[in-house]
Amino acid sequence: MTDTAMEISGVTRNDRFTRGSKLADMLSKAGLGFAILAVVLYGSFVSPAFFTAGNLLNVLTSMSIVGIVVVGMTFVLVAGGLADLSVPATIACGAILSLGLQPMIGPVPAFVLAVGLAGLIGLLNGVLVGYIGINPIIATLGVGTISLGIVQAAVGGVIVYGSNPASAEFAKGRLFGIPVVVLIFLAIALVGHFLLSRSFWGRWTLATGGNYSAAEASAVPVKAVKAGAFVITALASGISGGLLGLTLQSARPLIGAGYEFSAITAVVVGGVSIIGGFGSVPRAIAGLIFVQLLTNVMVLNGVRTPIQGFVLGALIVGAVGVDAALRKRGGA
Amino acid sequence: MTAADCALDMRGISKTFPGVKALSNVNFSVKFGTVHAVVGENGAGKSTLMKVLNGSYAPTSGTIHVGGSEVRMRRPADAQALGIRMVHQEINLVPDLTVAENVYLGRMPARWSLLRKSEMIARAAAVLDELGAAINPRERLGNLSISQQQLVEIAKAYAAKPRIIVLDEPTSSLSEHETAALFRILRKMRDDGIAIVYISHRLKEVLEIADEVTVLRDGSMIETRPIHGITAAGMIRLMVGREVSNVFPKSPAEIGNSVLRVDGLSDGLRFRDISFDVKAGEILGLTGLVGAGRTEVARAIFGLSPLIEGSISVNGRKVSINSPSDAVKAGIAYVPEDRKGDGIVPGMSIRENISLPILRRLTRFGRIRRSADRSLAAGYVKQFSISPPDGERRINLLSGGNQQKAVIAKWLAANPRVLILDEPTRGVDVGAKAEIHHIIGQLVAGGMAVVMISSELPEILGVCDRVVVMRDGHASQPLVRRELSEERIMALATGEEIA
Repeated sequence: MTDTAMEISGVTRNDRFTRGSKLADMLSKAGLGFAILAVVLYGSFVSPAFFTAGNLLNVLTSMSIVGIVVVGMTFVLVAGGLADLSVPATIACGAILSLGLQPMIGPVPAFVLAVGLAGLIGLLNGVLVGYIGINPIIATLGVGTISLGIVQAAVGGVIVYGSNPASAEFAKGRLFGIPVVVLIFLAIALVGHFLLSRSFWGRWTLATGGNYSAAEASAVPVKAVKAGAFVITALASGISGGLLGLTLQSARPLIGAGYEFSAITAVVVGGVSIIGGFGSVPRAIAGLIFVQLLTNVMVLNGVRTPIQGFVLGALIVGAVGVDAALRKRGGA
Repeated sequence: MTAADCALDMRGISKTFPGVKALSNVNFSVKFGTVHAVVGENGAGKSTLMKVLNGSYAPTSGTIHVGGSEVRMRRPADAQALGIRMVHQEINLVPDLTVAENVYLGRMPARWSLLRKSEMIARAAAVLDELGAAINPRERLGNLSISQQQLVEIAKAYAAKPRIIVLDEPTSSLSEHETAALFRILRKMRDDGIAIVYISHRLKEVLEIADEVTVLRDGSMIETRPIHGITAAGMIRLMVGREVSNVFPKSPAEIGNSVLRVDGLSDGLRFRDISFDVKAGEILGLTGLVGAGRTEVARAIFGLSPLIEGSISVNGRKVSINSPSDAVKAGIAYVPEDRKGDGIVPGMSIRENISLPILRRLTRFGRIRRSADRSLAAGYVKQFSISPPDGERRINLLSGGNQQKAVIAKWLAANPRVLILDEPTRGVDVGAKAEIHHIIGQLVAGGMAVVMISSELPEILGVCDRVVVMRDGHASQPLVRRELSEERIMALATGEEIA
């Protein structure tokens, strides 16, 4: 146990799981559902533009780009890896390379290579956090800054534009009336959900986050599991960045700025524990839906940006506070 | 009893949690200058009562008098202000601070708000010295063994000069030698007029140290008696409400070929040149003072910590073990000493805990086969009568004994040839202890080789076929059953006899 996160979870022996009440569990799940419903009702009430197919489709599309990152970030939090702050860099890597490499190798190989390189950044994060035991915040911040620098230097620090209209058409297109980006997000969410809740890797991830030492002593490859969570997040961010690039047909180095915050907010608001061992992809996505709808309602109502920031910040602090309170109360 | 010599008087204490009545109308009083033991099975309400006493829980009803006057405690700080100190079973110290800083945590001597470090170290040294603990007050706490940390915890409570001191299983991580030292301290504190509440599963110790004993069962006070009016068997009867005939039922098993053999194991630090073997159907005891290196040897065999020398063979074949998963493949399983820290994943169900080491075998195309997962857990829940019999129950909601049974089940699922059990009955109640011994007996009868680490000599003597005694990282020659006696083992463990 070398990093702070593990020490925290080692000391707080009484965790939120001790509350053990199915009722509390249902309430916390349903609570978010009610919150989403409340936002929808409020939104439809105060703004005629809110409950329109166009607006909701917009929300869904922009949600999908963050949503792909959210799926990955869920693994990091559940595995007890705190958070991945290199997301802006991996998104930029995905976006810049999948556009920038198009003239050289064609759109599909460019996309695949971009995602692969993003995954490599995740591997570096994973090795530093999982195997060497560096605090995840510091490791991912450092790796993210380095990677962003390299990507920026490689493209000369300027905006990269798309050169393949067909790929742009695809990314912006629709299938059965649903935007392709949304479909890709749903597919990734399904795969992520399966991986976390049904596969051995997911069980290992939950065990590693729940009690690192016990998982280790149960022959779970804890280091690989922790590292894997960062690889998963980086691959997801790479895909997200690639889609973002293709949609916008341009990518600047700071294209991914803020996505790490949005993703962490969504996951935490969804009730996934920041200390690990508890959470699921559907929960994180419910958190995402709530945050995105709330933001949308605020935008439609002309709430000023500083106030929006205030609300989102309060949400994340509140969610972490509730998590901590649940752990405390569970002491019985 | 007059109000003046009554340190603590709790009357009609009840504590209700949603759906559970943890304490029901409990009366409990302790006189100054006495040691008052509280015994009961896990779940009997001891911990809840102590949490009421130290201000962590407010009682649902009832009154508390301390030193003759009625008090209301809302938080642990209130209890501390009244001179009530608690020594928890689990270490509650800051690993990155020094021993002295931990002893005086929150009350460090200062002048002009500057810390007087040398005075603090000198005072801590004096307290530790008085306790007979050979611990350097300048040492970083995290570098100490668990038993030394436990002594620091006691020193911390003692240094606060309390009126009432509550010790919760203080000897669970102490060797017999250290326990004797602790008892000297407790008697001294008692003679100073401190009221001592002593919670323990170890009835022999209770008989030795306590003046009075209170038995709790199912949240009710069953009886308070002077210690000279009761025997261990009598206490067990009151605790469980039934007779436990044989505490150590050793079923004689057919002893076969050597299964696990270790030769010249060293980790370069905490143990050196350890050699022994265990045969099929045999229980090999590994004992010694806490800190002698027993757990370290077990962890190294299981691949949790590195070896620098030595070889491990299973069924005559040399195996290379660099991780727990190598050990599992080689047929070695390990039930760790620290159940909460290393044994269970608290947020997971009994089922999820049991299948953890062999998850890969239960998957098809990466997907866990639910039916296989369920039936595996259900089988063990039934076989070991884990209570409540519900594999979906979160494991941390079970009693210590049932958690331990689940941890053992987890390893049996991996179908090992050798099972290493590290303090398997620590902190579990009398009934569960007998069940765990019964399970171990069945396993060896089925041809498994078992290594059992224990600090409890009666357990070692009652259960093991052969015993290896460790001292300062070295192992003795194995003692066979007819050579076994508490005196012999203690002599080897303390170095009064060279094997």
